[in-house]
Amino acid sequence: MSIRFKTLAELKELLEKKEISSYELVKETFKNISSSKTNSFITLDEEAALNKARDFDEGKVDGDLAGIPIAQKDLFCTKNLRTTCGSKILENFIPPYDATVVDNLLAAGSICVGKTNMDEFAMGSSNETSYYGTVRNPWDLERVPGGSSGGSAAAVSEGLVCAATGTDTGGSIRQPAALCGITGIKPTYGRASRWGMIAFASSLDQAGAFARNAEDCALLLNHICSHDSKDSTSISEERENYLDNINNNLKGKKIGIIKEFDISSLNKEVQDSFEKSKKIFEALGANFVEVSMPNIKLSVPTYYVIAPAECSSNLSRFDGVKYGYRAKDVDNLEELYIKSRSEGFGDEVKRRILIGTYVLSAGFYDAYYKKAQQSRRMIKNDFVDALSEVDVIMSPSSPSSAFKIGSKTEDPIEMYLEDLFTISSNLAGVPAMSIPHGFSDGLPIGLQLIGNYLEESKILNFAHQYQKNSDWHFKTPNLGESS
Amino acid sequence: MDNKTVETISYLARLKLDKDKKEKITKDLENIIDFVAELQDINTEDIIPLSNPLEKLAPKREDSVTSKSRKEVFLLNSPESDQDYFIVPKVVE
Repeated sequence: MSIRFKTLAELKELLEKKEISSYELVKETFKNISSSKTNSFITLDEEAALNKARDFDEGKVDGDLAGIPIAQKDLFCTKNLRTTCGSKILENFIPPYDATVVDNLLAAGSICVGKTNMDEFAMGSSNETSYYGTVRNPWDLERVPGGSSGGSAAAVSEGLVCAATGTDTGGSIRQPAALCGITGIKPTYGRASRWGMIAFASSLDQAGAFARNAEDCALLLNHICSHDSKDSTSISEERENYLDNINNNLKGKKIGIIKEFDISSLNKEVQDSFEKSKKIFEALGANFVEVSMPNIKLSVPTYYVIAPAECSSNLSRFDGVKYGYRAKDVDNLEELYIKSRSEGFGDEVKRRILIGTYVLSAGFYDAYYKKAQQSRRMIKNDFVDALSEVDVIMSPSSPSSAFKIGSKTEDPIEMYLEDLFTISSNLAGVPAMSIPHGFSDGLPIGLQLIGNYLEESKILNFAHQYQKNSDWHFKTPNLGESS
Repeated sequence: MDNKTVETISYLARLKLDKDKKEKITKDLENIIDFVAELQDINTEDIIPLSNPLEKLAPKREDSVTSKSRKEVFLLNSPESDQDYFIVPKVVE
């Protein structure tokens, strides 16, 4: 039986009906991974995964996700399993503990098959900054899968796993989900624990999920999201069951279209898909309202001050002393720091550390960092105002479909603009997701749904209703060329 | 963004740039700083900086030991250690 492209819910049913064993499922998963050409994984954990599958088959494991193989982004610490964060500097790092998100998913019975490839320290929108090689998009191996969670997105898109974790600091779940033709969600900032997530920009980082549809994402979020006293920004409000409202009727619901996002500048197929998606929601009874968010145009520059500032501070911990890469042949401690960091970090990471150091340095702090924090509040206020008028906000997830590998690596700003539509939700901290909604140049594109604080349920409801009335999420890449 | 500024911030960040990449990185940094400079023109009078989107205060907890010492586990990840210590090049002459 082919398990490729099966949803999480379908695999659960097959296991429950004993039509397949977890052992067979895991075996088949590794077989598919070994023939894959997307370079989605950095580290595999076959022996442990097979042992866990046997435990499930022997009735020793239960839970919502019991016996299901999933993948973890290599940014989450996994106990006794190498965690590189896509960087040379952590090439040999074996965490002595599990991230809370990983712990939660294991407690629900899921089986971790391995760690997915990603942009180095999650800094990138194409997965080309990974020390472990570029990930290729299963829809076209010459194109990027998006980033930074490119490995997770490609692995789900290619049907290697039915679900994977991701993290989203400026669009790192939604943009690759869009470019790979799958569903991905970033919850409200603080809804999922950051404990054990290797920090990039702590006030923006948030864990989330990739799956084949919104319903599977809801099930995953039921476990990914939790209150965690080990993360001081963790939200203490009780988590909803995200499946409870997924079938709600959309009659009379309001969807906001951001006036300042100029859709007409995008290519025709992206515009057409957007119009068609509007019609689907209209047919379901929802109404469209234009919302003005005058400060949203400041999102990308605001982000590229705040994120590098936080990154320069967070990444100062990598110094070659307690863990990670240490340079050879050094004469003194300072040289050890400089050489270990210079040899261990890639170019994009260095660029961001330097920008962060610059904007935080004496004389520039007020002009850049403080100003960006002020503009961040203005952007947040725009969201608060807009979301008091509408239920959700809708936009494209990315300006275009997947671009060619190497086509944007020379100009960092062009790459940064990939996240034009996604970055603002991270600055405001609101939940957002991407669902497949068409094709441009024969490649998938995504529709973004943004919700109010702690209203993950609502965007999942909209996404699920959309998917009940469309078939984009059933489309799969032709793997004739890729495996 | 001149060479000297790049050298200063590189040192602050304890990074040394490869000679052949220095020019490109300097140019990139200059472009990025130009790109974010747009923020300097906006009116932010009376706007309180936002550092955390939720604006919640960090929760307090009792100051008690919550985990056991696992120093041998953590030392395992060290590039160089000896018994209870991380080894680094000599600091005091």
